[in-house]
Amino acid sequence: MPTMLSVENLSISFRTDEGVITPVQGVTFAVEAGRTLGLVGESGSGKSISTKALMQLLPGTAMLGENTRMTYTDKGGKDIALGHLKHGSRELRRIRGGEIGMIFQEPMASFSPVYTIGNQMMEAIMLHRGLKKREAREFAVEMLDKVGISNAAARIDQYPHELSGGMRQRAMIALTLSAGPALLIADEPTTALDVTIQAQVLDLMRDLQRELGMGMIFITHDLGVIAQIADDVAVMYLGTIVERGPAREVIRNPQHPYTQGLLDAIPSVEHLHDRLKPVPGDIPSPTNRPTGCPFHTRCAQAIPGICDAQEPVETTPMPGRAVRCWLHSDKDRSAA
Amino acid sequence: MIDATHQIDDLSAAEEKERERQLKYYSASQWTLIWWRFRRHRAAMIAASLLGLMALAGIFAEFVAPYGPVSRDTKYIEGAPQMPRFCDAAGCSMVPFINGTKTERDPVTLRAISVPDPEVRHYIQFFVKGERVKLLGFIPIDRHLIGLSPDADQKIHFWGTDDLGRDVFSRTIYATRTSLSIGVIGVLISFVLALIIGGVAGYFGGIIDNVIQRVTEVIRVVPIIPLYMGLAAAMPKEWSTTQVYFAMTLILGLFGWPTLARRIRSQLLSIRNEDYVVAARLAGARPGRIIAQHMLPSFTSFIIVDLVISFPYMILSETALSFVGLGLRPPSVSWGVLLQQAQSVRAIEQTPWLFIPAVFVVVAVLAFTVIGDGLRDAADPYSEAH
Amino acid sequence: MGDTILLRFTLERFVGMVITMALVSVMVFLIMELPPGDYADRYAFRKYSGTGVNVTEADIEAIRRDLGLDKPMVLRYFDWIGGIVLHWDFGQAFAFETSVTKVIGDKVWLTAGILFATLLLTYIVSIPIGIFAAVRRGSAVDYGLTVFSYLGLALPNFLLALVMLYFANRWFGADIGGLFSAQYRDAPWSAAKVWDMMKHLWLPAVVLAWSAVAYQIQTVRATMSDELNKLSVTAARARGVPETKLLIKYPARLAINPVVSTIGFDVNRIFSELPIVAVVLGLTELGELLLKAYLDLDMNVAGAILLMLTFAIVFMNFFSDLLLAWLDPRIKLGA
Repeated sequence: MPTMLSVENLSISFRTDEGVITPVQGVTFAVEAGRTLGLVGESGSGKSISTKALMQLLPGTAMLGENTRMTYTDKGGKDIALGHLKHGSRELRRIRGGEIGMIFQEPMASFSPVYTIGNQMMEAIMLHRGLKKREAREFAVEMLDKVGISNAAARIDQYPHELSGGMRQRAMIALTLSAGPALLIADEPTTALDVTIQAQVLDLMRDLQRELGMGMIFITHDLGVIAQIADDVAVMYLGTIVERGPAREVIRNPQHPYTQGLLDAIPSVEHLHDRLKPVPGDIPSPTNRPTGCPFHTRCAQAIPGICDAQEPVETTPMPGRAVRCWLHSDKDRSAA
Repeated sequence: MIDATHQIDDLSAAEEKERERQLKYYSASQWTLIWWRFRRHRAAMIAASLLGLMALAGIFAEFVAPYGPVSRDTKYIEGAPQMPRFCDAAGCSMVPFINGTKTERDPVTLRAISVPDPEVRHYIQFFVKGERVKLLGFIPIDRHLIGLSPDADQKIHFWGTDDLGRDVFSRTIYATRTSLSIGVIGVLISFVLALIIGGVAGYFGGIIDNVIQRVTEVIRVVPIIPLYMGLAAAMPKEWSTTQVYFAMTLILGLFGWPTLARRIRSQLLSIRNEDYVVAARLAGARPGRIIAQHMLPSFTSFIIVDLVISFPYMILSETALSFVGLGLRPPSVSWGVLLQQAQSVRAIEQTPWLFIPAVFVVVAVLAFTVIGDGLRDAADPYSEAH
Repeated sequence: MGDTILLRFTLERFVGMVITMALVSVMVFLIMELPPGDYADRYAFRKYSGTGVNVTEADIEAIRRDLGLDKPMVLRYFDWIGGIVLHWDFGQAFAFETSVTKVIGDKVWLTAGILFATLLLTYIVSIPIGIFAAVRRGSAVDYGLTVFSYLGLALPNFLLALVMLYFANRWFGADIGGLFSAQYRDAPWSAAKVWDMMKHLWLPAVVLAWSAVAYQIQTVRATMSDELNKLSVTAARARGVPETKLLIKYPARLAINPVVSTIGFDVNRIFSELPIVAVVLGLTELGELLLKAYLDLDMNVAGAILLMLTFAIVFMNFFSDLLLAWLDPRIKLGA
């Protein structure tokens, strides 16, 4: 599969009253067409910010690092350097929605409350598919139908508050997909939904992705969801990717202590009577980033004198896998 | 565990200090926190100091003002402000002074006019002997904060005089007392009414609430100044200035409560069914006690903000009404009454110093608004963490 | 389905408006009854004072009976309000020896003209500026506008009127106060007279709009700032909606809601300031008439004016409720 998006060394800083903070540091990942990359991490780990940087949706106080390279290959095969497109340019507007679509956590808040679902869908369709109003409306009904909204021809004239939470998220998916993106970024799209609805929406997204052949970045804090939907996974902690690899392998055989911790925190049917083991401690604030390995303050296996002193580099413990941890880089450690 | 003890041993002095600061922060009461945050709001602190100065000057007007509000200086009518200076043609002095005045005939109109006399200097003095007045209405004093020596053959008018030769500075100080006190009493009346009416509506809800809402709506829609005009017309013409003062304050207070009442009502309605309120009710507490002890404290800070920002409404209403002659009448002095003398374009051209009371109005209103904003920010627990 | 909801909503609000108007009329009537003595006393005093005629208690009694003033208060209230509702008859204006309706006459339209000119000016100025300030939040322009709006709220309107009058006099000549030039003041209505009025209307409109503009800039700026941070705006941006269209369609559209919901409040403020500003600017419309009526204790005129002003405010509240329901689809369901 060809790589459609490659992100190298993504660093993002913000100017704040208390000085510059850097919530994302040297993140590298790639998305292949037709495959799903899962980005996992607790809130504050920088996963949402990273994807927003792709679309230049960050506030004006944000700055990208010097060595950051983000290359996107569009539907026509042209390579585009993301992150530095001119504001308000036609190119940026084409990328936003038309090439890369985004779905957010809160379906209610993602819609404007004062326009009908149809109005907001037709706007996107007319912008990106160049259809006239009538055709756009027909297309919108088709899309609503496709995401499993019954009686789409009537629902199209309803306001967001008239739909249930699950229906709203389906409508949001229809809205995002109606612009025809080749890459879909889903930012915790199921977190705000009931568990039963969650499964339905996940199924829907997986089916649509296969049908349309899209690449997808799926952001979540739940490794269980990753197991259901992602092909590859990248685990983020405090703005860096600590482990990445094929989703099944990472889940079956986690290498980083943080990934292990996340897996232990998932309830499972086999161990119903055991207590859940949360990852101990709190995620440090980005203004107060620990020295050395960012995870050492919460890591049970931290090695004093090393983990709190030096940042580990990425190593390859086995083919196709990468991990950033001193436990896996004996040679480097002795050298240090 | 080993790690943790290791870390505590390593705590440096700076970290210890930081911990203490945090401990202080987390154990501070709500009001202490609000005060800390308010103190950091620079504009609001400046506004509060200005207002404090005004209030002090108003309270001790007899002492601060060099002359009485109706004392006339027939030798200096419609006179321009006299700015104390340190230097003149004859040289400089450490103590500020003003030049004397002498009367001359205008060569064109032949009217008697006052012109500066550079040969005479009158030095400014503090705590000078002057008119006998009663501080706060009952403490007799004859010393004033600032003025000219009693031996001088003239008076000092920092901000000039009006058409009767009355000192604008002194009158403005006295007016500050009147105008601010109307604000305070008016707001207090509004507050008590709002508390009772909003409290009853919000606590009981249902039909009582519905009826009260209707009445509130009526009071809220009537434009205050036209309404006041109607009520002012009903006031007997022979009423004394004190009676007019209280009637006016009462009317402003009687019609100023709807906004605050609505706020109290909606807040009460929203917490009426909280567990702690239901618990108090089940324990047999009486409604008045439940409202006062359990419900109001949860939004006292918002009420205070609303109180502060309702001052401008009172002050501006008083000023406007007195300005057109419907509010306080001379010989009372309030900002509005003083501005009555500056009603024409002619006044802007010839006696612009009569507008100085307007500066007080603007500063007072601005100050209340800025303090209100500062308090609102300070009272908002989500405005910042530390 | 949506239509029946809207209809019900409209009906509910309409009934609410009528109830409020009824209560307002009772209050106005009570105020009219407040001055010592009644209409007959004052009528007799005014008519015969200085003429040497000796007015007896019987004469006053006769006047009282003629005018129906001997009836109980409740009945008099219904006479009064009935006359207004059924015949647009507000009773007699004794200061002018004619009916209140005649005295007020076309001044109703002048007042309406000033009101709408002021409202229009307020919204045309404050909405774009408020939006702009929010978009440029934290910039020097934003800071300057904030200072301006604070000052706008603190400056008493009659002072502003004086200052404006002073500068208008210096720059545009003396004939700027009032609502008409001398030659048109008593002339019948004509195109030239309307044009002359327009030339005078801007001054009171600017003075009256001043504080409303200051207030609404703050409102729009605050709402717009909130709306700009909404996820729906980020979502629309992520769909490639062009920035200007995005700002207008998404956050700005919602930022005007609080403005719409406070139309009645603005009208109230304008009517409250009108009598004062009218005195300074020498306007001969309702406001100044109101002042004269009160000074003469002509409570019929005063009551009529207070009633009209308040009814106008109540109606504008009703209108703003409907407008808001039309603008924001969530309102109807919540009501």
